[in-house]
Amino acid sequence: MERYLATFGRWLLVPVCLFILGLGLYYLMRILRWDKQQATGLALISPWLFGFIGFTAIPIFYSLYLSFTDFSLFGKEKWVGFGNYIKLFTNDIEFWPSVRITLSYAVFTLPVGVFGSLLVALLINREIRGIRIFRTILYLTAILPDTAVAIIWRQLFNGESGLINFFLSLFGVNKIDWFGNPKYVLPAFVIISVWGIFGTNTIIFLAALKDVSKALYEAAEIDGAGGFKRFIHITIPQISSVILVQVVMSLIGSMQMFTVAQFLRPTTQAGLFMNQLVYTRGFTQLHMGEASAIAWVLFVIILVLTLLVFRTSPAWVHYETEVKDVKGIKNVR
Amino acid sequence: MKRLCFLCTMLLAVAILFTACGTTGTTGTKGTSDTPGTAAPDGKSAAQGKPSEKVEVKLSTWAGSEEAAELQEIIDRLNKSSDTYIITQDSNPADYETRLTTQLSGNAGPDLFWVSASRGAQFAARGVMLDITDRLSKSGKPAANLDDYYDSAFGPFKVNGKIYALPWIMQPVVLYVNQDALDKAGVVIDENWNWDRFMEAAKKLTLDKNGKSLGESGFDKNNIVQWGFTLNGWPPVQMFIWQAGGEVIAEDFSSSPIDTPEALMGFNFYRELLDSGVVPSQQTIRDRGFDQMFRDGQVAMFMGGAADSLDTKVENFKCVVREVPAGPTGIKATFVDLLGMGINSKTKYPDVAFEALVDLAEEIHKWKVMPPRKSIGSAENMQSLHPERKDAFPAIVNSLEYSRPYRFYQDYPDWDTVFWNQLMDPIVNNNGKPEELVPKVKPLLDEALK
Repeated sequence: MERYLATFGRWLLVPVCLFILGLGLYYLMRILRWDKQQATGLALISPWLFGFIGFTAIPIFYSLYLSFTDFSLFGKEKWVGFGNYIKLFTNDIEFWPSVRITLSYAVFTLPVGVFGSLLVALLINREIRGIRIFRTILYLTAILPDTAVAIIWRQLFNGESGLINFFLSLFGVNKIDWFGNPKYVLPAFVIISVWGIFGTNTIIFLAALKDVSKALYEAAEIDGAGGFKRFIHITIPQISSVILVQVVMSLIGSMQMFTVAQFLRPTTQAGLFMNQLVYTRGFTQLHMGEASAIAWVLFVIILVLTLLVFRTSPAWVHYETEVKDVKGIKNVR
Repeated sequence: MKRLCFLCTMLLAVAILFTACGTTGTTGTKGTSDTPGTAAPDGKSAAQGKPSEKVEVKLSTWAGSEEAAELQEIIDRLNKSSDTYIITQDSNPADYETRLTTQLSGNAGPDLFWVSASRGAQFAARGVMLDITDRLSKSGKPAANLDDYYDSAFGPFKVNGKIYALPWIMQPVVLYVNQDALDKAGVVIDENWNWDRFMEAAKKLTLDKNGKSLGESGFDKNNIVQWGFTLNGWPPVQMFIWQAGGEVIAEDFSSSPIDTPEALMGFNFYRELLDSGVVPSQQTIRDRGFDQMFRDGQVAMFMGGAADSLDTKVENFKCVVREVPAGPTGIKATFVDLLGMGINSKTKYPDVAFEALVDLAEEIHKWKVMPPRKSIGSAENMQSLHPERKDAFPAIVNSLEYSRPYRFYQDYPDWDTVFWNQLMDPIVNNNGKPEELVPKVKPLLDEALK
């Protein structure tokens, strides 16, 4: 009991400290002649700010520093310059297979994830009896932990008694060893990713669909536009900004595949996902320097791909604040 | 005035923050000594190391709920009889190693901790665990008597002749056998039990739904109801290579001699077992469960650790424990898994932690199968301690005599990753041929040893 009270007391001190630090920050800003309102605002967000600096910003930059060292979690690290990066690109037998499977997974799951969830959102964007129950049931898949999802999929992919092989056998397909044969590992993970289309992405699309003005559909209907044309010329442009967000978020999410792959443990010949490689290098092999380098390479890949998506977005994303003149040149209001 | 007020506030906040977030140390909370003990291995820091009151010694384990409850009984007994320590158990079976590594790296680790052989070698080489060599030689307690331990017991926990952990269990790989199936097939395991006899037995024990065995005319390979043996990367190929007289890591850690005729013989025997039809397909093993197939009577012979205790867990048939077969030239070898217990090199009270370590090791040696000590681990003594497994101990104790762990070193996981991913995974899962893979993988393994 004594120990619990002591621990509890220490934990209680944390909010007290944060309060005092916030107060200190307020006074500091006032001394620096900040406006009272601004100083109060800064003081109020300071707990989050301290948390962000301490638990996110500093670790991010520290990991960048570590990627140039031979840090092994214990003892002093030694500066190795670009040694870890050179090793990764030139002499690491696991790195390129890892990049390949991670990128391939992203390429296949991105359209499945984005358009799959859009499709589901369209299906549940109807006012029929019991639709709220359907929506709730579909969203339930999103609240299951990844490990539980992995267990379910492991059963579904079971070679002998799994539903997937049973379904394929109806079409004369032989039993597939999904996680033992490197050829089928990626398809298996892409199939598993279908699970994700019923979750948060669908809800976001549903909200976007609800936001599309009914007047636009009515006007199009009067002009004789059919359902498909209304979808292409009204729905898609109207929700294109949400599609952009979903593409970016799904891209980042798919590049960070970890839990399900770590749990299902397919044959290593298919390659480890990059996040798995980071974990293995860091915590199994105790090469935190190399692990940090892989993490930064992953970050750069995600950054480049995200920037590419943003660069292409003016061609297909429509914002309500934008109007196009007759020549198709965009003007922002 | 405002500035003074601000300065005081900030100083107060920082002071409280450090007090609140600072760890109370890795060890004792009740000791009267204010000066933390150093991790000096000479044992002369007794003034710092031994406070006048009982000290809390935190122990981290991966014990599951049942095992943790049994361990707690032992700890309660020790705490009652000790004047110097109170051991508190912290069991975390989920992701134990990652958690422990992170704690130790952040100087917030426990005083004592269970450690696997692989991790033990990493920790010992990196100075994470306390060097206990001198303390062991000065201690008069039975668990500190190094002569009483099996030769291979300290392998992973020894670096440059210094000892960094006490082993508390040795699990040699033994052969669990469905005796009913063996009797039915007329298979006898005797002192001439070797690869040829093993393969012959496995074939006889592989039965189709009509009761015909592998090799018999009319055997239906598409409707096998019982396989003779099972493999999925476990048992490790190393033990077959050792049985053939080969090695996978040279004694001086300079190379991986996996291309010697002896090593290739071991690999090829492994391949032969996979190809001969006596082993289920890897997909079948994955689908039905590796040891579950043995428990369900679908596999007649299974190699597992001595502590797996399948002989007491299987109810459908008579399960007995036998030694693994010898190699073609009669060499006996089996793999032994070792688990140890080390002291955090940053503990405040190294002497008290050492005392707790030795006392706890002594009790665990009496609890677990098999202890790494000859005096406790004799067949007779084990039979009296664990009467429910009395028939198993002759084979287990004999196995310990020739058992050996892997050649662990500080970066063993680097070598092991290459060995498994580039060599064994293709052999086991993708029909890889050892003679084709070995020349490609050997340079990579040699490189990993550099």
